[in-house]
Amino acid sequence: MATTDEDTFLEQEGCYVALTNSPLNLQSIVDRVRSPQAGAIVLFAGTTRDSFDNKPVKELQYTAYRPLALRTMLSICAALRAKHALKGIAMVHRLGVVPIGEESILIAVSAPHRQAAWRAGEEALEECKARVEVWKREEFEDGEGVWRANRDGVRGERVG
Amino acid sequence: MTTKPPKGHFNILYFASAGSYTSKNVEALPAPLPLRKLFATLEERYQGFRASVLDHSLVTINLTYVDVPGEDAAEEAEEIVIQEGDEVAIIPPVSSG
Repeated sequence: MATTDEDTFLEQEGCYVALTNSPLNLQSIVDRVRSPQAGAIVLFAGTTRDSFDNKPVKELQYTAYRPLALRTMLSICAALRAKHALKGIAMVHRLGVVPIGEESILIAVSAPHRQAAWRAGEEALEECKARVEVWKREEFEDGEGVWRANRDGVRGERVG
Repeated sequence: MTTKPPKGHFNILYFASAGSYTSKNVEALPAPLPLRKLFATLEERYQGFRASVLDHSLVTINLTYVDVPGEDAAEEAEEIVIQEGDEVAIIPPVSSG
């Protein structure tokens, strides 16, 4: 296997990214971006849905190219931190089996004012979904399983 | 981490649909191999792999994305050649979040 089950993370000034097989903790990611210079913290929590096209999903399983996914996550965070003058930005993705209704991804950003925080939070998620080397497999109630693509049928773009 | 490939080989990692198609996550292939011959080499081992997976996937060598040239591309002096010990990965369309 290319991956291990250990937690892995990268950090650099104002940015923290991690992959973990454990349940995600909302409070700890908020605390990571907390800053006396911030007037807003925006937290996004992506949770696993129980259906796809009305088909009941039993559970979801995520896998990653860990070293590359962490690198891509850090480059997204660093770019958004500069663009929106953020005080902090953190992104954590859960891997392995994620039961229905639990968090699969958390993104937290802090900024002096709320507008920048809202915008950066949204852009961080969209960039993550487009580029980060993580894959989701949906296991359906009928036993079938499907590797999902965020842009089904579209060839991926080369990323820097 | 991935085990080091044997002498004269490189590792290739298969993620998501690439792993399902080949029924493995990683294997060692003989090096050196010009990058433009990679897809043909894989198609030979796994019939139909190209149309099902490779044509929609990206490729990295040692964590850097590379453009896979067409097979009929002229042999160029600066063409990329996969070397012994390299880590190549097949990256199908991602689905994080």
